[in-house]
Amino acid sequence: MLLNMNMIVPLGILRNVLFQSKFPIRSMRIFPRLQLKEIREVQNEKELVIYGEIVPSERANILLKNTHPQACPLCASGLDVKHTDILIISQFVRSDGCMLPRRITGLCRTQQKRMSSLVTMAQKAGLMPNLNPANSKKDPKKRFQWKKFNKYFDESTIKS
Amino acid sequence: MSALKRVQQWATFARVWHIYDASWQNPFKSAELLKKYLMGLHKPIYHPMNDCGDHVIVINSGDIALPGDEWKRRVYFHHTGYPGGATWTLAWELHSKDPTMVLRKAVYNSMDGNLQRRYTMERLHLFPDANVPTNLLKNVSNQIQQLKAKPKRLDHYSENQVKQFPKIFDYPKDYILK
Ligand SMILES: [Zn+2]
Repeated sequence: MLLNMNMIVPLGILRNVLFQSKFPIRSMRIFPRLQLKEIREVQNEKELVIYGEIVPSERANILLKNTHPQACPLCASGLDVKHTDILIISQFVRSDGCMLPRRITGLCRTQQKRMSSLVTMAQKAGLMPNLNPANSKKDPKKRFQWKKFNKYFDESTIKS
Repeated sequence: MSALKRVQQWATFARVWHIYDASWQNPFKSAELLKKYLMGLHKPIYHPMNDCGDHVIVINSGDIALPGDEWKRRVYFHHTGYPGGATWTLAWELHSKDPTMVLRKAVYNSMDGNLQRRYTMERLHLFPDANVPTNLLKNVSNQIQQLKAKPKRLDHYSENQVKQFPKIFDYPKDYILK
């Protein structure tokens, strides 16, 4: 917006003009819409269609209630998670076994670090063989040398 | 001697057969447990001169678990007696050669070295898997409880169980599922 410099504009009006001018910009989006998306791939004849489909969150109904909203969800739950509690640990992992970042998990710094250690322990113990990269052998018994035998970990060795 | 006392005498000195599932158990902690049954330390009639030890069948000794990276840290030393006859075998190498040997050595080393030790070891029956001859299995009258629970793998839960389990956090709104 061009303003005539010779015109004396009262400060309140100037603020209104600038404030209002913010909104028309937002109607045009260059970022994706704020919704949960899933990338789907459909192989037709001679063409591969890749599209993002907006899906509702499956977790909304079975979410653990956070009784202390100022704390992170794991601190608030008061759980002492072990590396064998695989149903909890697998929630913090992508389908290829990679740990989710703190922006997505919403954990505090301490719990995020502890959880990433627990994920590593569970993966080394072969408890999440289905959450692995596509080229992995999946079966822990087919691993190389000493890695094919059962192992367990002590959570008190996690430095925090 | 009355019939009751006679049967009590037989029952007291009879050798009991125990079974122990070693899957996901620490062999060295299990050895401390098993040696009590093998030597008869759990019996009130125990005396070093009294041969009152029990038999123990250990199944799934191939599925024992070691903590952390102990599979490649623990070393078994052997010397043939000849010059240059020393060998150092890692635990995982020994376990790939004989899946019962780590547990057998653990039990053997947990006991004091005396003349009874070799005979006590004879009462330990180790099997790398659950295939036990039926003539041994029919003697079994007691199961020794495992020291720690066997962890369950994620792919052994049903898909519905994983889906219905309470979730700690929800995905942010701009997250792309992967
Ligand atoms: Zn926290």
